Amino acid sequence: MKLTKTEQGMAYFVLVLISAITVLPLLIAFFTSMKGDAEFSLGAMSLLPETWHLDNYAKALQKGDWPTYFKNTAIVTIVVVIGSLLINSLSGFTFARISFKGNQPIFLAMLAGMMVPAQVVIIPQFLIMKSIPLFGGNNFLGSGGNGWLDSYYALIIPELAGAFGIFMARQFYLQFPKALDEAAFIDGAGYLRLFFTIYLPQSGPLVATLGIFKFVSVWNDFFHPLIYTNSESMRTLQLGLQVFRGEHGVQYNLLMAASLLVSLPIIVMFFVFQKQFIRSVMASSVKG
Amino acid sequence: MNKGLNRFIPYMLIFPSVVLFVLFILLPIVWVLYLSFTDYTMLNAPEWVGFKNFERLWGDEIFHRAVKNTALYWIGTVIPSMVIGLILANLLALRLRGLALFRAFLYLPGVISSVAVAMTWLWLFDPRQGPINGFLKLIGLEGRNWLQDPKTSLSSVILIGIWVGIGYAMIIFLSGIQSISESLYEAASLDGASGLRKFWHITIPLLKPMTLFLFITATIRSFQVFDLVFVLTGGGPANSSTTVVTQIVGASFQEYKMGYASAMAVFLLAATFVVTVIQYAVGSRNASAE
Repeated sequence: MKLTKTEQGMAYFVLVLISAITVLPLLIAFFTSMKGDAEFSLGAMSLLPETWHLDNYAKALQKGDWPTYFKNTAIVTIVVVIGSLLINSLSGFTFARISFKGNQPIFLAMLAGMMVPAQVVIIPQFLIMKSIPLFGGNNFLGSGGNGWLDSYYALIIPELAGAFGIFMARQFYLQFPKALDEAAFIDGAGYLRLFFTIYLPQSGPLVATLGIFKFVSVWNDFFHPLIYTNSESMRTLQLGLQVFRGEHGVQYNLLMAASLLVSLPIIVMFFVFQKQFIRSVMASSVKG
Repeated sequence: MNKGLNRFIPYMLIFPSVVLFVLFILLPIVWVLYLSFTDYTMLNAPEWVGFKNFERLWGDEIFHRAVKNTALYWIGTVIPSMVIGLILANLLALRLRGLALFRAFLYLPGVISSVAVAMTWLWLFDPRQGPINGFLKLIGLEGRNWLQDPKTSLSSVILIGIWVGIGYAMIIFLSGIQSISESLYEAASLDGASGLRKFWHITIPLLKPMTLFLFITATIRSFQVFDLVFVLTGGGPANSSTTVVTQIVGASFQEYKMGYASAMAVFLLAATFVVTVIQYAVGSRNASAE
């Protein structure tokens, strides 16, 4: 569309205005994280700090066992991202490229499961976690102990499933020509080898989309760690942030510093992989 | 390769997904339905009580409050963030200079965790030192304790909900606008249509699928609002900002009334199911109309 100079000016004006309002809370949080104790608590209305207190970040890190929280979140996120990518893309590949009895019904049942809110099934999931046999002090009937609760298993295993991932992978693998499979079969390759040597190496866009999607949702997850864990050694970053606020909540400059640190990996990833990020968001609407 | 064995290979390949699906979705759905008809405190075995939990739910004023608040949150967040997202998407689609940066910053609230978002707004809303009350004081208005005042707690959470939702709506609308053929607008321009008319008669109708999608997903997501409420107000004060999921979590994991909480969860499932059916019905009607 061609715009006149005035129209362009107006468009910019509205854009800048709404953007300013939208981004202002984040800017305030950022600058508050650099303000000195006396300065921020005076309620000073200046956006920028008078002196820049980078040491707020070091101070925030000293309060609370952040290395443990970071380790927990990193382990859970990385294992879930890699594991779910493998499981979901392999299933999507199977649904897309192999005809077998039950292909459609099984796929549709899983897709329907995607609609079920996590909060609806949290109670039975909790009870299932608690009664996994031979874990967490349980006997072989699954009672007596805590099962998978308060362990990495509880945070990792359920997240490996993903109807959305299977759906996206199936869509992706449907695009390849039939001749590709036939050529590979002449070579005597099995399905598993076909997947790992031919399809997976070409799955860059799929891996990026699903990987980012999963990374963000697991890194930011507050609900499941809140329900499934209780010991300090199992705390994730999001839980740690919530606890930090409970203990040092009035020191907002430090709270803002901690919030920023917890979000930093996601923010950096977002700016580096912006294109893939936007694509993964758009991909979520394809099914609509 | 052995033909008999070959037949089982597809099932082996989807086996992990199927096990996870059965264990963490299918079984829990059946289980939560069953539990909703029982009394269960985790100390005793579940005891069948028929519809008692649902009857109690029907008369539970706090749960009514939670349903009402969730509905208000739904109405209060979904439409405004979609409208603002649509306006922004249209401006971004103009391909002015520097737009990529705008797009990135506008989407940022959508990628940060809800806990970090809540922390940011706890500071903004802080009654004594926070910037919002500070600003109001500056222009001669009286601030208040936004999150801890029963009159404003829910509205404050809704405001944050809108803020979080804008970026997602913007991106989805933007992808829709970019898929509209430029020639449609050019033809309309030749006929002398103004920018606003083009917006009403070309952009809006062609964005119908995205609008439906956004409305439904935002609706379902709003039914599940929990993190923000839990961190910002804990559902208080005096249940003024409690929501359905806040009640589920409170009843189950704080009071261990697993049966009663399951009945609430079934209510949430039913509400979600109704919305999904509507989406499917409207979606297929649109598809057949085209």
